[in-house]
Amino acid sequence: METVLLIILGSLAITGSLMVIFSKNTVHSALWMVSFFFFIAGIYILLHAEFIAMLQLIVYAGAIMMFILYAIMMLNIREELSDRIPVQPLKLAGIALLGFIFLLLLPMVVFGVNHSMLTASGPFTEQIVEKFGHMAVLSNYLFSDFLLPFEITSILLTVGVVGSVMLAKK
Amino acid sequence: MAEMQDINLYLFLSAIMFIIGAAGAITRRNAIVVFMCIEIMLCSSSLLFIVFGRATRTFDGTFMIMFIMTVAAVEAAIGLAIFILMYRKTGSIDLDKFNIMKW
Amino acid sequence: MLDKIWLIPALPLIGVLINGLFGRYIEKINKNIIHWVACGTVFLSFVITFIIFIQLLGFAPEDRLYEYTLFNWISSGVLQTSIAYQADPLSIFMCLFVTGVGFLIHIYSIGYMAHDEGRYYRYFTYLNLFMFSMINLVLANNFLLMFLGWEGVGLCSYLLIGFWFSKEENAIAGKKAFITNRVGDFCFIIAMLMLFCGLGEHGIWSFRFSQIFPNVHLLSPEMITVICLLFFAGCTAKSAQIPLYIWLPDAMAGPTPVSALIHAATMVTSGIYMVVRSNILFSLSPTALCVIAWTGALTALLAASIGLVQNDIKKVLAYSTVSQLGYMFLALGVGAFTAGIFHVLTHSFFKALLFMCAGSVIHAMSGEQDMRFMGGLRNKTPITFWTMAIGTIAIAGIPPFAGFFSKDEILWKTFASGNILLWIIGAVAAGMTAFYMSRLMFMTFFNNCRASDEVKHHIHESPRTMTVPLMVLACLSIIGGFLNVPHALKYIAIFGEEKAHHFLDPVIGLGPDKILQKAGHEIAHQASHATAHHSLSLEYGLMLLSITIALAGISIAYMMYIKKKDWPEKLASRFCTLHKVVFNKWYVDELYAFLFVRPFHVLSNFFWKGIDVPIIDGMVNGIARIVLWSSTVLRHVQTGQLQSYAISVIFGTLLLMFYYYFHVDL
Repeated sequence: METVLLIILGSLAITGSLMVIFSKNTVHSALWMVSFFFFIAGIYILLHAEFIAMLQLIVYAGAIMMFILYAIMMLNIREELSDRIPVQPLKLAGIALLGFIFLLLLPMVVFGVNHSMLTASGPFTEQIVEKFGHMAVLSNYLFSDFLLPFEITSILLTVGVVGSVMLAKK
Repeated sequence: MAEMQDINLYLFLSAIMFIIGAAGAITRRNAIVVFMCIEIMLCSSSLLFIVFGRATRTFDGTFMIMFIMTVAAVEAAIGLAIFILMYRKTGSIDLDKFNIMKW
Repeated sequence: MLDKIWLIPALPLIGVLINGLFGRYIEKINKNIIHWVACGTVFLSFVITFIIFIQLLGFAPEDRLYEYTLFNWISSGVLQTSIAYQADPLSIFMCLFVTGVGFLIHIYSIGYMAHDEGRYYRYFTYLNLFMFSMINLVLANNFLLMFLGWEGVGLCSYLLIGFWFSKEENAIAGKKAFITNRVGDFCFIIAMLMLFCGLGEHGIWSFRFSQIFPNVHLLSPEMITVICLLFFAGCTAKSAQIPLYIWLPDAMAGPTPVSALIHAATMVTSGIYMVVRSNILFSLSPTALCVIAWTGALTALLAASIGLVQNDIKKVLAYSTVSQLGYMFLALGVGAFTAGIFHVLTHSFFKALLFMCAGSVIHAMSGEQDMRFMGGLRNKTPITFWTMAIGTIAIAGIPPFAGFFSKDEILWKTFASGNILLWIIGAVAAGMTAFYMSRLMFMTFFNNCRASDEVKHHIHESPRTMTVPLMVLACLSIIGGFLNVPHALKYIAIFGEEKAHHFLDPVIGLGPDKILQKAGHEIAHQASHATAHHSLSLEYGLMLLSITIALAGISIAYMMYIKKKDWPEKLASRFCTLHKVVFNKWYVDELYAFLFVRPFHVLSNFFWKGIDVPIIDGMVNGIARIVLWSSTVLRHVQTGQLQSYAISVIFGTLLLMFYYYFHVDL
């Protein structure tokens, strides 16, 4: 059952990302991106990571994409110039390289997972996670063991805010 | 361990998303679309983190996601501010036009 | 004072350093300081030499050898050489007149170069450097130090000949002198090294004279002959014999005091000094001595013949020098080493005198050097006239002036050794000498002045700094001959008879010095004893004959240039081909240009255009061009576009994946 859902959601996500890069209109790209984030959130839920899914929707699809849409609006993007300047050969070569990388990745992905190394060593079985709740477990460790990175990211956010205000000021 | 059966699919999905994101990043001329493709790539790596976290029954992957997301948000803010500056300077955000550092 | 012998070369060196390094600034302050420094150092050297001479006289004849080592120069395995000087009769004899005449010429130069602006200090620097090299040459106690001096005088000769280098022919003359000397130096080096290695096979690894000459008989006769011939080849270059005399006439492009010092008194005599120093070596090889004698005689004849028809006053004197050097080598070739050295001494007196007088004449004539435009200077420049007359009579060989004693002794010894033909050549050359020197006198000082009015107006006697050395040298030319009065004329021996002989005999291997009495000084023995076998009347007869020949030469010149002035043109037109050939120096320079210079030019051109430019320059430039080409290709990597850089990152990732994927061992 989960496999079927995964396949459906996965293909939808792939479709979404493909449309992102193939859309001529920038706003269309942004909207496809939003949908992509939704499908990814769905996949996270399949993985029993509900909090992350919500976080994804709120932060990515909500904040970041809105940000991008604001920027598109402010920059007044017209349609991509379709009087085709043909794609540079270099970029085609880059695509080829990427294809090559993918080909190299395939066997790894399909056959190369070393199950013996993936020892289920941690304590967080499904039962425990369901007992306490995903978010509770996360926040428990976030504010005790991972407090320093948390604080640093808050500083990072401050810096980002100040920086973007400074940059965009006239 | 239903996780274990599907892990290949997850990895495959992550790989495809990464490649698609990279392809978009090097092909599109619009700076904002490039930015979105970078976000796709970040997403694929986040997915990987979650998957392996689940497979080893730890929460490390999840923590990583927190910080990735934060950084992505900050990056979005600053990147877009730079795009606005770019637009002010030259009137377009076509990446092919920014080649002053050419030989 | 003997242990201060190193001061003799060191003082001129100090002069070089002071004048050379600071001369430019000293000139601005006070020009006189330069010549005070230069002349002062040479004068001090002369004083020290004289004191050492007196001290040396105090020793017994067999003990007159003092060596002083300054420091160890080369110390490399078997090659051990030091900077060391020796005071023995021959060295001090040479050093006395080198420093003495050198000092007089320094004084003369003060007056001569007084009007040369901006180059005063350079001139005195070079002159002092020359003195330093020459003193090193004569005082050295080993071949290497002597060679250092040998090369040094060659260098200074080049520097001084080309002193006024802004005129191209002066620079070319300097180059010619240096390159010709180089050929000789090459032979010298080979001879020196052959000597070193040859003796080294017998276990004697040394360049020192006192260690080489007692053991020279250990070498095989063929090797000795080759070494002697190569040494003599070096001498032909330095002392202007056939075939390498060609530089000396051209060297007249330099200032006249330079000609006086270098090409009359000192540098050209260094070859003779070297042969006399190595007399034991040369005595062991009759072949080499024969070559030397014949070369000397032929050079004397050839140069005298060219000097007969030259018009430039300095060229006449130059060819006269070559001719007199031929006499000295003739003396050495027949074994009369002392006679040769004595002729060096007297020749330095009167030749330096003649050159300086010529300089005085040129100075009076505002730079005119062609004798056809001179004349009648007798009354206008009396001191120059009288001193030059004394020099001319001395060189012609009229007693009791200096030239008579030395030249006559050479001719006598030549005759007595049995080589009548050599004697004839020498006598003919003596006659020619008298002729062309008198011709010079008559054309310059007698008859009416043939110069332009402007020049006539400016004729004046030279300043005191120039005339006083002339007078000193004139006195020396008169009395210098009495240093070596032969036994036959013992009644007029003022200072005692055969003083020079007695002084130099230990060095020539005739004295009571036991070390030098090994097999090998036979020739010198023969030379001195041969004369003892001939009768006194023969000696008187030959003396009278040489005086007659000299007087004949003078009178012929008198007839041609005073009495019947049309004879020169008539003779020239009668023998016009011969005259033309002799006037053009027997076309020797052209011959050399054809035989040696042109092929070298062709070869050098080939090496330059065919090898150096395309191959060597091509390689170096080619590397530069490759770098340039690769950069023009590689710069396209920097496109300035963001996404192409991203592609290169992807490419790197791919490479990394290859590495990990296939477990490639790098």
